[in-house]
Amino acid sequence: MPEHTHISPPELIKDRGSLHPINHMKDSIMTLLTSFGFEIIDGPEIETEEFNFDMLNIKKSHPARQMHDTFYVENKLNLLRTHTSPVQIRGMLEKKPPLAFISGGKVYRKDDDATHLPMFHQVEGIYVDENVSFAQLKDLIYKIIYSLFGDGVELRFRPSYFPFTEPSAEVDILSKEGKWLEILGCGLVNPVVLENCNINSNKYSGLAFGLGIERIAMLKHGVTDIREFYKSNLDFLTQFK
Amino acid sequence: MKIAYRHLVKHIKESPSIEHISNKLFQLGHEHEIDGDIFDMEFTPNRGDCLSINGLLRDLAVFYKVELKQEIFSEKLNDLQLDFENLSENICPKISFLKLEIDQVPGRYKNSLENYFSDLGLKKNNFFTDVSNYLSYESGQPTHCYDANKINNKLVFHEIEKNEEFETLLDKKIILKNKNPVFSLNNEVINLAGVVGGKSTSCSADTKTVIIECAFFKPEAIIGKSVKYDIQSEASHKFERGVDPDCQDRVLRRFIKLVSEHANIKDMSIISYKYKDYPAHQIPVNVKKINQIIGINITENEYLNYLSKLKFDIREGFIKVPSFRSDVKTQNDLAEEIARIIGYNNIPTSEINIPKNKKTNHKDIENKLRFFLLDHGFYEVINSPFVSLSAKEAIKVDNPLDSNRGYLRTNITNSLVENLLYNERRQKDSIKFFEISDVYSFSSGINKKRKLSIIASGRVGLNYEDFSKKINLKYASNLFQQILPNEDFDFQILSRDSMDTKIKNEIISLEVNLDKFPNDILAYEELSSSPEYFNKYIPISDRPSSFKDISYLVKDYSKMKELQDLLLGYQSDIIKDIYIFDYFNNSKIEETKVGFRFIFQSKKTTLTAEEIDMIYNDIVNNSLGIKGVTIPGI
Repeated sequence: MPEHTHISPPELIKDRGSLHPINHMKDSIMTLLTSFGFEIIDGPEIETEEFNFDMLNIKKSHPARQMHDTFYVENKLNLLRTHTSPVQIRGMLEKKPPLAFISGGKVYRKDDDATHLPMFHQVEGIYVDENVSFAQLKDLIYKIIYSLFGDGVELRFRPSYFPFTEPSAEVDILSKEGKWLEILGCGLVNPVVLENCNINSNKYSGLAFGLGIERIAMLKHGVTDIREFYKSNLDFLTQFK
Repeated sequence: MKIAYRHLVKHIKESPSIEHISNKLFQLGHEHEIDGDIFDMEFTPNRGDCLSINGLLRDLAVFYKVELKQEIFSEKLNDLQLDFENLSENICPKISFLKLEIDQVPGRYKNSLENYFSDLGLKKNNFFTDVSNYLSYESGQPTHCYDANKINNKLVFHEIEKNEEFETLLDKKIILKNKNPVFSLNNEVINLAGVVGGKSTSCSADTKTVIIECAFFKPEAIIGKSVKYDIQSEASHKFERGVDPDCQDRVLRRFIKLVSEHANIKDMSIISYKYKDYPAHQIPVNVKKINQIIGINITENEYLNYLSKLKFDIREGFIKVPSFRSDVKTQNDLAEEIARIIGYNNIPTSEINIPKNKKTNHKDIENKLRFFLLDHGFYEVINSPFVSLSAKEAIKVDNPLDSNRGYLRTNITNSLVENLLYNERRQKDSIKFFEISDVYSFSSGINKKRKLSIIASGRVGLNYEDFSKKINLKYASNLFQQILPNEDFDFQILSRDSMDTKIKNEIISLEVNLDKFPNDILAYEELSSSPEYFNKYIPISDRPSSFKDISYLVKDYSKMKELQDLLLGYQSDIIKDIYIFDYFNNSKIEETKVGFRFIFQSKKTTLTAEEIDMIYNDIVNNSLGIKGVTIPGI
């Protein structure tokens, strides 16, 4: 061996694992939102009808409650939350405005096909203060979408309907293929919901928004079948380091 | 709901193009697809008033000059003598009946009625039912037609609560269960109110005398019935979303007009029952509030002008909401109307500044653990909580998707075992997973625990130091010593006896309650990439993989780098992974042994031995071209 040869072993590659892409996306969005001033709160996945529906102005006669898409447990005493919104209700009951909460986690709907799963993830946010307006909601949504998809992305707001917000909107982004893709739902908190949480709706108003994590992760990573996320296949998971 | 462009545009003076109307519908929040010249509309559940030609035109009237060309019969009508009793006035506060007798059933349809069937490609049924269906499309108000000759006794409307068989006019037999609003005749159900009529009293192609029922049912009495009995019903879709409580007289008079365009009416009479008034909802005019909600600055004149185009009546400082807009009750509802008219995309943004919160230590320990495990080669997984096996304390799902998903899991480990076996079946020999999740159980109330579960089996790692080391209890307990030197964790060796596998590697598992996790965990830096950096996923192959190992003897160490660069950089469509699994340098005899593993897998086919050998031989030949490098045995 020539004298100048330095014996250095091959690089020792430590196999680093990865966060689950859905949790990674959820954490990234929550980190982004905390940078805007939101505080993270948590709530239970097993909820009451009162918190999941009644307090959110989703009346018994409302189609959303009648579409047979809710899992009930313990002889209908409780249910698996169908959205993360009940966490906001719990937060508003505990704290007085001004308040800005986000919550993220698993939600459940009685659905199972290539685009819907019985368990999926949401991140929702709410901000209640004096004189919160739809124009401010738009500003926040632009900031969120630009952070997630880049400043150049084109987006549009469409009127929509959620019992807990009024006015309500859905937001789409324009894909590279020229197709509008639905990204999130948002609106001004329905004054009925504020009053349900003992917040004076004459003095305070609020904005709220919610995102489906799987949908964003599918778009960002280019995954076309939602079921891939939950097979725990190492060939899949190793791609998200 | 399908609506033909030509049925809309004939009432619009400007004659806008289909694209122009489409853009305006989107601005108003009415999602749709266009198929030829048909709008396939999808309305939000609060806008039942739009489920018709007239309803959609009322909304479009904010952009266009709309002139409805629909004549009604406007002369005085005789009183109908009908033996009718309403025993549930609370759920049917308004109802009218019209009796018509015609001399001959028309063989052909004319005008709007014919266009409705031909333009939308719909199947005709019988004359009166066809008029009823068209009228529902035009006005949004469903009506039901009974063959008058079959109504031979007292007609009763009531909400019943008993099991009763009912045959629908679509020949489907259903068993009514629990509470149902129905019309009965001779103590038998002849109509599931607001959903579907019965066969026994339905009209036929020969029906010349008809009784048309036109009612307002409370949405909460109708909702869920069509789903419950699996009946596709346009009527229930409308009643569930709320119809106009004040439209019965006009709709029945329009019915007469449509019939009169097709047949001679020999006799007609009407009776209306009103058990409750629906006074118009009134909201104070407050443009300041509207401006504040939206974040704009319009004048009161502009504001009121917008609302009057939507048929809101403004009197003495109050806005009178039209009877068909049961969804409008508050200033926020009015603000939404204005925002839709202006266009959500035309509303300027206003900078938002949320007061900054103190940094929260949200899930601090949990995140440290996650990143620690990541750095030791563990992959985070997420599993469904629905399981078939029930521990005694498992929470039962009342309405599971299927019997295999009837309970909520009480532990995470069982899910991870399934994940492990799934990957072992895919030739993975170093598997390390963890999952953190809330786990629920029931014992004198619902208990929630936040748990971390870990499973590991096979090789410690795929690099040359870890390749020959097997995961065992020692490996696992040493792992946590690094961050929690003073804690003992109860790692388990899981028996493979009941598992469907021939692999013998030990399975090490741990499930701990994070709510009680020691908080003296050593500092661990979190790494989290920002949302801009997300890998593009490459679809994975479901074909089997196989491997080939090549062990080299390197006499001239200066050639090591060349060998590594050649092999680790080797490109082939069927090579999925290459790594060094073995390395030993014997400085005394100046020899280095290095082993490379090549994993072969095709995206499209199951590879043959010949295909693999071709690449393998190419690798061998190329590497042996490096001086001082040999493969013992070759």
